[in-house]
Amino acid sequence: MSDVITTEAQNKPESPPVKGAAAAWPLGLAGAALLIIGSFLSWSYDSSILENLSLNGNPGGLQRLTIIGGVVALVLLLIAKGPLESRLGQWLDATLGLRALALYLLIYMVLVVVAISVESDGLINVDPGAYVSLIGSGLLFAGARLLPLRQLRDLGQARLPSWFEILSIAVIMAVILFGAAYALDLKDAWSFVLCLLFYAGVIAAMFRTGTLSWFSHVAQRNKKVLTLAAFVVAFFFPFTQNGSDANMSIATQVLIFAATAMGLNIVVGLAGLLDLGYIAFLGSGAYVAAMLSESAFATINWHPPFPVVVLIGAGVAATLGLIIGSPTLRVSGDYLAIVTLGFGEIFRLAMFNLDGTNGPLLTNGPNGIPAIPELTIGSFNFGDPHTVAGIELGRFSNYYFLLLILLGFIILVFSRLNDSRIGRGWVAIREDEKAAEAMGVNVFGLKLLAFAIGAFLAGMAGTIKAHQDVAVSPGQYIFLESAFLLAAIVLGGMGTIAGVLLGATILKLLPEKLRFFSEYRLLLFGLLLIVMMRFRPEGLVASRRRQLEFHEEDEELAVAVESELVEEAK
Amino acid sequence: MDQFFQQLVNGLTLGSLYALIAVGYTVVYGIVQLINFAHGEVFMIGAFGALTTYLLFFDGQTAVWILPFMIVGAMLASVGTAVLMERVAYRPLRNAPRLAPLITAIGISVFLQEFIRLLYEKVPFVDFPSAKQRIPFPQIDVVTGPAAEIGNVTIQRSAIFTIAALVISAVVLYYFINRTRLGRGMQAVSQDPDTARLMGINVDRIIVVAFALGAVLAAVAGISQGFQNNNIDYKMGFLAGLKAFTAAVLGGIGNIPGAVLGGLVLGVVEAMATQYVPGQFGGGSWKDVWAFIILILVLVFRPQGLLGARVVDRA
Repeated sequence: MSDVITTEAQNKPESPPVKGAAAAWPLGLAGAALLIIGSFLSWSYDSSILENLSLNGNPGGLQRLTIIGGVVALVLLLIAKGPLESRLGQWLDATLGLRALALYLLIYMVLVVVAISVESDGLINVDPGAYVSLIGSGLLFAGARLLPLRQLRDLGQARLPSWFEILSIAVIMAVILFGAAYALDLKDAWSFVLCLLFYAGVIAAMFRTGTLSWFSHVAQRNKKVLTLAAFVVAFFFPFTQNGSDANMSIATQVLIFAATAMGLNIVVGLAGLLDLGYIAFLGSGAYVAAMLSESAFATINWHPPFPVVVLIGAGVAATLGLIIGSPTLRVSGDYLAIVTLGFGEIFRLAMFNLDGTNGPLLTNGPNGIPAIPELTIGSFNFGDPHTVAGIELGRFSNYYFLLLILLGFIILVFSRLNDSRIGRGWVAIREDEKAAEAMGVNVFGLKLLAFAIGAFLAGMAGTIKAHQDVAVSPGQYIFLESAFLLAAIVLGGMGTIAGVLLGATILKLLPEKLRFFSEYRLLLFGLLLIVMMRFRPEGLVASRRRQLEFHEEDEELAVAVESELVEEAK
Repeated sequence: MDQFFQQLVNGLTLGSLYALIAVGYTVVYGIVQLINFAHGEVFMIGAFGALTTYLLFFDGQTAVWILPFMIVGAMLASVGTAVLMERVAYRPLRNAPRLAPLITAIGISVFLQEFIRLLYEKVPFVDFPSAKQRIPFPQIDVVTGPAAEIGNVTIQRSAIFTIAALVISAVVLYYFINRTRLGRGMQAVSQDPDTARLMGINVDRIIVVAFALGAVLAAVAGISQGFQNNNIDYKMGFLAGLKAFTAAVLGGIGNIPGAVLGGLVLGVVEAMATQYVPGQFGGGSWKDVWAFIILILVLVFRPQGLLGARVVDRA
């Protein structure tokens, strides 16, 4: 912390000392210690639940998470008062972070006790270890409440050596990779939920200490490193799975979904055109690939190599996109949304009807085209397992890598467009179409371009999806799927890359991992859309400009966004 | 020629149904400029409200005096749903960007469908059938039963019920809009909400009334649909709602007589298309496609509709 650029400390009055503040620190220390000690003891008599928490001295998965939480709490306590205070204390808001972490740890421990008693009949099955940890988390919570708040310097101003920033990006990415692999490996639903809760607690603590905002500044400064790191992490994910296909099959579905959502993000997020029939483009790509494949049910007797199929599929989708986009000359807003919805339904009904009796034989009607063979590019067959560096990579891993390349390509297209003249034109159209037109923006041309590019990318994803799914049928391309894609964008944050990837992952992953949840997933999905629009319409990861569009009267935000844009321009 | 009249009757029946639902879209749109995408679900809830009333109090009976109770039950259910959704979901978004309420509406639509599908059979203390498959709708004397034959044209009793419901609703609606204080308040708000507020009209209340009014007609449509198809299911609202929206746009959205006319025209065109479009693209399996094509053509080439409305120009 030597080359720190100091700023003027804020001139806030000292907060009055809280009663019992003296007891807060030892109380917190005792709590953290109890939490860790309890985690080394047995939590339950029943070794068959929650992936075995019944051993003394050999903590199970959930207990290890608790130990990590306890250690983090200990570090935060030492930052608040103790040996680390002089170095980190003035930068990190340890008290607020500790309060958040302690709250989550308390909920976590309570839920652990609930989970044990639900999973194996009653509180009788809870071992003393769990109570020790529970009391520990309670003490920690009380201690954190009593700790006084302190004056801090703005972490965003901190400048560390750039090697340190890059190192911290690498460390965080590695943590994300292992965290994701660990969570996905949990078979037990309770364990999975508790694990997610723990992650949420850690993220909340990071947010409250200010580490997260520091990290977002670092990410701003080192965008390329971050992107590279994210792709490296995604690339290494299959190697953490030891050849198991269960998670890889989910991962490929997440990737297809994310790639399609990213394409829709160009139309909705950048150009601001609500498209409720977007799944039709994915479908047209998939149907083209199926009809041109060597399946015995394929209806066109021409089997070009796959790169040609990709181009044809994407081309057909883009043509459809142009057709669907053409009404934008005359309609906009809600009406355009309904027009696209109508096109989407027409696509589905057409695929349903083109079975030879109600129309020309192209799609086999409701049966679809099954038995699509595995993809081959050159002599590489995507169905065969391959061994790389001693780790077996199965069928889904092969598709995973291909889809990762596709997703990378789509993200590249997205970000290049966003930063270009075209992207600025879209922003202008989104915010005020008439003003944009008056400024000489080619409104109709740019809108058509948005539809065509979005459709082209979805068509590409569709051609791969057909082979990955082995079959296509009209039932895969219903309105609800379009709504899901839209929800991923809304949930994550319109017009952002990270947000949409996050939204797509959440929407596709959670129902797959939580079986008990899958029955109610549509119900919760509907509720989620309503709640998101009510309380956070800009999404989880909001682009600043979007945030301003949704909160027009917020002057403070406007100033903040403006200064940020100025900083970016420098 | 018999075929023509038969299809005309079918079309008018279908059209009456669309018209009843379309009024709900148009009334709400005229006042808050919001496409209440979840209105199809209000219609579906109305049908389930009628079924619930029947199962709770009259199970097994077929006397015609049950009918008014079913209608009241249906209206309670759908009006309750519509008012609640306005209060909880739409009102906080009244000044939000246009995208927000539309996405909310999709959310409501999915939520209500799933709510009925999953939870209808789980209502405590009573033994309701599972809504995961189609549920048979009760048969009531007079309005269901053997069809009437005029010449070679078959007219179902449920068809007569639907058309009569539309006629009565239209008359009552006309009276309500033009002769009552509330109705004139609605007209004032739809012309200029700010001035209306200055004149002492409670705009929030008028908006609630608009939602409730649409829901009342949707409830009647829900019962009609139940009698016509002999069964109801949780997803009946989606397609019906979409087509009713088409009808509302066709007539000129915001224009109440337009919605009725649009509904009837759409119903007749759909019925005729099944009969008279030649070749492979005719027949029942393509009729929905034709309905959507009409929707798109109307939106693109005559967004103000047949009877004309304020031209919509919003992004």
